[in-house]
Amino acid sequence: MKGKTHHPRPGEDVATLSGGLTRRDLMQRAGVLGLAAAFTGLGGIEALQAAGFDMKKYAGTKINILMTGDENDHRALADMAPKFAEETGMELEITSPALGALIEKTLQNLKAEKSSFDLIEYLGFLTTQQVGGGYYEQLNAYIDDPAKTPPDWDFNDIIPAALKNVGIFDMASGAVGKGKDIYGIPGLHSGSVIYFYRKDLFDAAGLQPAKTWDEFKAAAQKLHTDDVAGCSFIGANDFSLAAVDWYTRFITTGGALMTGSAKEKNFKPQVNSKEGIAALQMLIDLLPYAPKNVTKYGFAENVDGFSTGKIAQMIFWSTIAGPILNSENSMVADKTGTTPVPSGDGKSPRAIQGGWGVGIPKNIDPAKKDAAWLALTWITNKAVNRYSIEKYNIDANRSSAFNDPELVAKFPYLKDALTAIETADTIPTSLIPEFFQLNDVMNVEFNAALIGTQDAKTACEKVQTQWEAILRKAGHLA
Amino acid sequence: MSPGVETSMGLAVPAARTKFVFGKRDEPGRAIWLLLGPCLLYLIVFSIYPLFHSLRLSLTDLTAATGTGNFVGLANYRALLSDPQFWNAARNSAIMVVCSVTLQVVLGVALAMFFNLQLRGAWIVRGILLLPMLMTPIVVGVMWRALLNPDWGLVNWAIRHVGLTPPDWLGSIGMSMVTVILVDTWQWTPFVFIIVFARLQALSQDVFEAAQVDGAGPFVTFRRITLPMLMPAIVFAGVFRAVDAFRSFDLIYGLSYGGPARSTTTLSFFSFQNGFQFQNYGYAAAVAYMMLLILAVGTTVMLKYVQIRPGDTR
Repeated sequence: MKGKTHHPRPGEDVATLSGGLTRRDLMQRAGVLGLAAAFTGLGGIEALQAAGFDMKKYAGTKINILMTGDENDHRALADMAPKFAEETGMELEITSPALGALIEKTLQNLKAEKSSFDLIEYLGFLTTQQVGGGYYEQLNAYIDDPAKTPPDWDFNDIIPAALKNVGIFDMASGAVGKGKDIYGIPGLHSGSVIYFYRKDLFDAAGLQPAKTWDEFKAAAQKLHTDDVAGCSFIGANDFSLAAVDWYTRFITTGGALMTGSAKEKNFKPQVNSKEGIAALQMLIDLLPYAPKNVTKYGFAENVDGFSTGKIAQMIFWSTIAGPILNSENSMVADKTGTTPVPSGDGKSPRAIQGGWGVGIPKNIDPAKKDAAWLALTWITNKAVNRYSIEKYNIDANRSSAFNDPELVAKFPYLKDALTAIETADTIPTSLIPEFFQLNDVMNVEFNAALIGTQDAKTACEKVQTQWEAILRKAGHLA
Repeated sequence: MSPGVETSMGLAVPAARTKFVFGKRDEPGRAIWLLLGPCLLYLIVFSIYPLFHSLRLSLTDLTAATGTGNFVGLANYRALLSDPQFWNAARNSAIMVVCSVTLQVVLGVALAMFFNLQLRGAWIVRGILLLPMLMTPIVVGVMWRALLNPDWGLVNWAIRHVGLTPPDWLGSIGMSMVTVILVDTWQWTPFVFIIVFARLQALSQDVFEAAQVDGAGPFVTFRRITLPMLMPAIVFAGVFRAVDAFRSFDLIYGLSYGGPARSTTTLSFFSFQNGFQFQNYGYAAAVAYMMLLILAVGTTVMLKYVQIRPGDTR
C-alpha cells in the first residue's frame, strides 16, 4: 500500500469514505496538499530542476523503509508519502513495528543475504550494535557527490550532536561519534530532556525556574498542595526512570556511569558511587511532593498529569512539549514554561541523548542503492523536518527547523530542545548490546527503592552487582 | 487402467473389492499418504520443526549481538538454575497457578451448583457471566489496568465513594500478584463453570432420587454423590486452566508488566523479556523449554494422582 503503514494504531479512525480513503487519510492528505502548495511557492522541485538535478531519475522504483511504530515518525512520513511520490516518482512503502519486533526484523534483514528493506531506522542506543556490526553502507561518498545529493539537502544544517550520536562511527576503534565516517543520517527525530514548569504557579509564589536540584526540591516543597503536586518524575518501572530522572541527576552532579571500555574488558559500572546513590536519594526525597501514585507514573501518566494542571514542575523528554503546549490537548498550554534541566552546583545542565538514525543496509540490491540514498535525502530534508515539528511536535534534527522563526513563535520550547540536543550525553551503556537489559535492572531496583522496600544505597549496590554479572557474562568486564 | 467392470455405457466402475478410492487396489499406502500428507506436512512445518529449532536454539549462546549462536551444550540451563530471577519467576508462576486455579475451581463449581437450581431468568445471568472469557487476555489486562488506575480508575472511585481506602492494586509488591490472580479469576471462572455445569446437567437424576429416599441431606449428597460424579469435569477444567495459567503472558503484559520489582514476572514474561527485550535468544529458548518440562511433569503427576472417577485407584 503506497505511503501507508501496515499497522493501524489503536483508536485510529478507520471509517472509510468513498473512494477507499479513510477520514484520517483524507484529513492528512488535505494537510499535505496545503503544505505542498506552500513548498512549491518557495521553489522546491522546480528550483532543483533548474539547478540541473533530476529528482525523478529513479522514478518507478519502490523504496521499502523499516522504521519505528512507537513514535510519530511513521505518521509524519506516511503523510508526506504522496509528496515523495510526486517529487521523486518513487513509491515509499513503510513498515513500522514496535521496538522489540523492529530490532528483531532489522537484525534478520541486516544478516540476511539480501535485505528486504532499502532504508532502516535504528535507535541511537543501538548504533554500536547495528552500525558497528558493519551492516550499513558508508555514506560519505554519496554526501560528497553532487550528482547523487540534491543541492538543497544541506548536510551542514544537521545538528552535529545528533549526527555524532547516530551517524558517525569509527569502525577501527568501535567508537560512536569519532572520526569522519558516516553510516547513518539522523532521522526522523532526535531529542533530549528539558525542564517543564508552571509559569503561573512559580510567578504567584515568587519563584524562578530551578537552576539547581536544591532549588527544584525547594520549589516542590513550596508549591505542593492537595490539588497540585510540587513536582513529578517517572517513578514506575519504566525505561525513563533510569534514563531520564536518575541519569540526568547523576551526570549533572558529577557522576560518570562507566569507567574503562568494553573492548579492553574493563567496562566497570559506577552506579553505587556516591553520585549514583545521591541521585536516587534525590528522587526518594521528592516523594512527599510528588503525586501520590508517582511510583506508578510512566510516560503517559506524567504527560496527563502535567497537561491537566496537577503537576508544578518536572524534567522530561522534550518530545512531550508539543502536547503540553498545545491548547487542544492541554489545560496549561499557556501557563507552561521550559528551560534547560537543573544541575548540581557549578555543573552544566545536560541529559541523555535520544533519537534515531536512518541508514542503507549494505546488502540491498546494488542497483537500488543510489535510489535509496535519494530517498534518504528526501525523508531527512528540511521540508519533512519542518512538517514533523509542526504537525506532530517531533524533535527533528536540523538547526533550520529548530530556528525557524515561525515555528519558534508557535513553539517557544524549540530553543531549549535544541540546546538540550546539542549538549546531550550519549549514555555509555548504549555502546554495548546489553543496554536494554542493564536499563531494566536499574528500573526494577530503583522502582523498588521508591516503593520503599529498600533504600537508595541497597538499590544501587544491587544494580552494581547485577550489572557486573551481566557485563562479565558478555565479556565486557574481566 | 485399474481392473473393473465395463458398464453398458462403456464406463469402468471399480471392482467390488476395491478398497481405496485414490490409489490402485494394490497400493494402499498411496491413499494413506494422500490423506495424511497435508496434516503431517502441517505438523512438521508448524509444530515439530519449531520445537526442534527452539531446542537447538536453547543449546546455543545466540544473542542479537553475536548473530551466530555457538553451541554451548547445557550452559543456558545451568545458568538458569543459578539465576535468582528465574527462580523468582518460577515462584510467581507457581503462586499464580495454585491460587488462581483453586479460586476458579471453587467458584466455578459453586456457580454451577447455583445455576443448577434452575431459577427463573438464570439463563440471562448465565449468558452475561460467560462474557469475560470471550475477551482476549491482553484487552482484559489493559481494561483492568484502567479500572484500577489509582488516580481516575472506576474501581477506586467506587471504593472511595463508600468511604473506604482502596488498596494499592498494582503499585505494591504484596498486592500486585493478588490483583493479577483476581483478574485472571474474573476472566476464567466462567470457563470452569461452563464445563462443570455441562457435566452437572448430564448427571442421571436417579442417583439423587435414590439418595433422597435413603435420607441423605444436601451436604452429604453433594460430598458423596455430586462431587465424585463431577470429578472428571473438575479435573479436566483444572488441568486445562493450570496449563493455561502457567503459560499466562498477555494478561501480565497488559496489566502489570511483570512489576513492581518483578513481583508479577512469571516464566512466560521472563522468557519474553530475555527474547524480545534483551535479545538473548538462546537463554529465552532455554526458559521456554524449562516451562515445557515443568508442564509435562506437572500435568502427568496431576493426572496420575488426582482421582478422576469414583473408585478410580490409579
